[in-house]
Amino acid sequence: MSSLHDLLAHEVVDGIKEGLFTAEEYVCSVIKTIEDVESKVRSFITLDSEGALSSAKLIDRKFKQKEDIGLLGGVTVGIKDNISTKDIRTTCASKILEDYVPSYDATVIRNLKQNGAIILGKLNLDEFGMGSTTEYSRYHPTHNPWNLDYVPGGSSGGCGAAIAAGECTVSLGSDTGGSIRCPASFCSVVGLKPTYGRVSRYGLISYANSLEQIGPICRSVKEIVLIMNIISGKDNSDNTTVSSSQITINNKLDKFDIAIIKELIDGSDHEVRSTVYSASDKFKEIGCTCDEISIKNLHYALPSYYTLASAEASSNLARYDNIRYGFDLPIEEYNWDTYFSNVRKNFGEEVKRRILIGSYVLSSGYYSKYYLKARSLRSLLKLELLKLFKKYDLLIGPTMPILPFKFGEKIDDPIKMYLVDINTVIANLAGIPAISLPVGFSNGLPIGLQIMAAPFEEQKLIDVSYALENTINIQRRPNLI
Amino acid sequence: MISKDELEYLAQISKINLSEDEAKKFPEQLDKTIEYIDILEELASDDLNVLDLQEVNFDELRDDVVIMSGGLRINKNLTEDGFLRGPKMK
Repeated sequence: MSSLHDLLAHEVVDGIKEGLFTAEEYVCSVIKTIEDVESKVRSFITLDSEGALSSAKLIDRKFKQKEDIGLLGGVTVGIKDNISTKDIRTTCASKILEDYVPSYDATVIRNLKQNGAIILGKLNLDEFGMGSTTEYSRYHPTHNPWNLDYVPGGSSGGCGAAIAAGECTVSLGSDTGGSIRCPASFCSVVGLKPTYGRVSRYGLISYANSLEQIGPICRSVKEIVLIMNIISGKDNSDNTTVSSSQITINNKLDKFDIAIIKELIDGSDHEVRSTVYSASDKFKEIGCTCDEISIKNLHYALPSYYTLASAEASSNLARYDNIRYGFDLPIEEYNWDTYFSNVRKNFGEEVKRRILIGSYVLSSGYYSKYYLKARSLRSLLKLELLKLFKKYDLLIGPTMPILPFKFGEKIDDPIKMYLVDINTVIANLAGIPAISLPVGFSNGLPIGLQIMAAPFEEQKLIDVSYALENTINIQRRPNLI
Repeated sequence: MISKDELEYLAQISKINLSEDEAKKFPEQLDKTIEYIDILEELASDDLNVLDLQEVNFDELRDDVVIMSGGLRINKNLTEDGFLRGPKMK
């Protein structure tokens, strides 16, 4: 048997249930890995080894007493640090929330715990999820386990890096414009952004509510299915959620009609393009059809996304007023506005830029010029995609148009950084599900394939991803030790 | 180009104090972003008549009952007689 920290989630549960090892032994193996690699990778903002060990002992006790340990009994989960965890600090990688300890669990965390999962700690991100590299974290950047000089992607970069490095077995991230799929692609792991409304956002600290969803980042498609069935469903605390059917692993693949999006391919680096074409050839080998198509309104997607996301951010982040949590600033010397503005100077530069842009596009004279047009484009794009999904089961393209890049390469030019998201924002604007699957490497750096489906057609994404995963065997674990 | 006054106005309505460095480099950076989103102007006015597809059903709201979340933790020592204490209004 491989080292315990190398096991997939279902193997961990089976191993504990069969008495091959204890939850405590497995958790110790994961903690040992963290001790070995964390100084290089820096995935965590907060690590709760003590809490994880006592949860493991509880699972072992349950097993001994022949009680059900749950579908995720004993499995270590890393949580992006913008998802509320009761009694564990939740910072959003921001100094504004550096001492914030939530008094409740997000619905997804409650669901995981009810199924026996062990919350191991909170993973790094770009401040409030705004970024694609973790360089905007106000604590430290996370390093790509495949090459420590390179970014791991973002904003859920801590999740991607921790999964690739074996620092936890599965993880939960959030995706507003590609924040699950980008690090999944850059770290050679699997990440799913669910359909908008499939997973509760209750307890996810808001950045752009109309775009974001919580979703899993794991090493295998099978684990994605396991986590999705636990976190999905109607939640009375989030009125946008709906009931949805369970997804399963099918060994037999339907012959899907697939379309490659021309614009996404054309805008990509040569190495990325050829790897994605090779993956599409594999689809043909397993019996699917593969056409190349064009999307008319695609070049408006990214400007629309940044208009809407910034507008929602400027509104959502207005809540950080330092009254209930924040810094110890004496209130006597200030009036309301100066106190408020003085505290909020502690946001990082990127957060400030997005709040300012949000205020700009929502202000009088610019609201109809930018915000209303962005909303209309969003609807146009969704209509165009829904029409395409009548003809095709799945749309594919590279998850990221470029390979992972070095630290500092894009940080001084916000537009260069925003352009990294050009392929992923489509799914958020249209509210459709999208998965990133590892399909190859170039110069030792991972390349991911993005597959999108019609709303609530996650089963199709899983079917085709599982078939491809079994056809091309891509390395998922770098040699870090 | 966003002027110094415009930046100050945006910072004021956003309630953010900018550092000297930020005040110096933000105008150019914000300009580039605005220039980039200006592409939306190309959208024909006919396109703006499209239905808003944001589908949120507000007919089925849950009952407005208080659910205890495990106690509100105030992370700062700003409470007085059970109330939060804020800075003076002007």
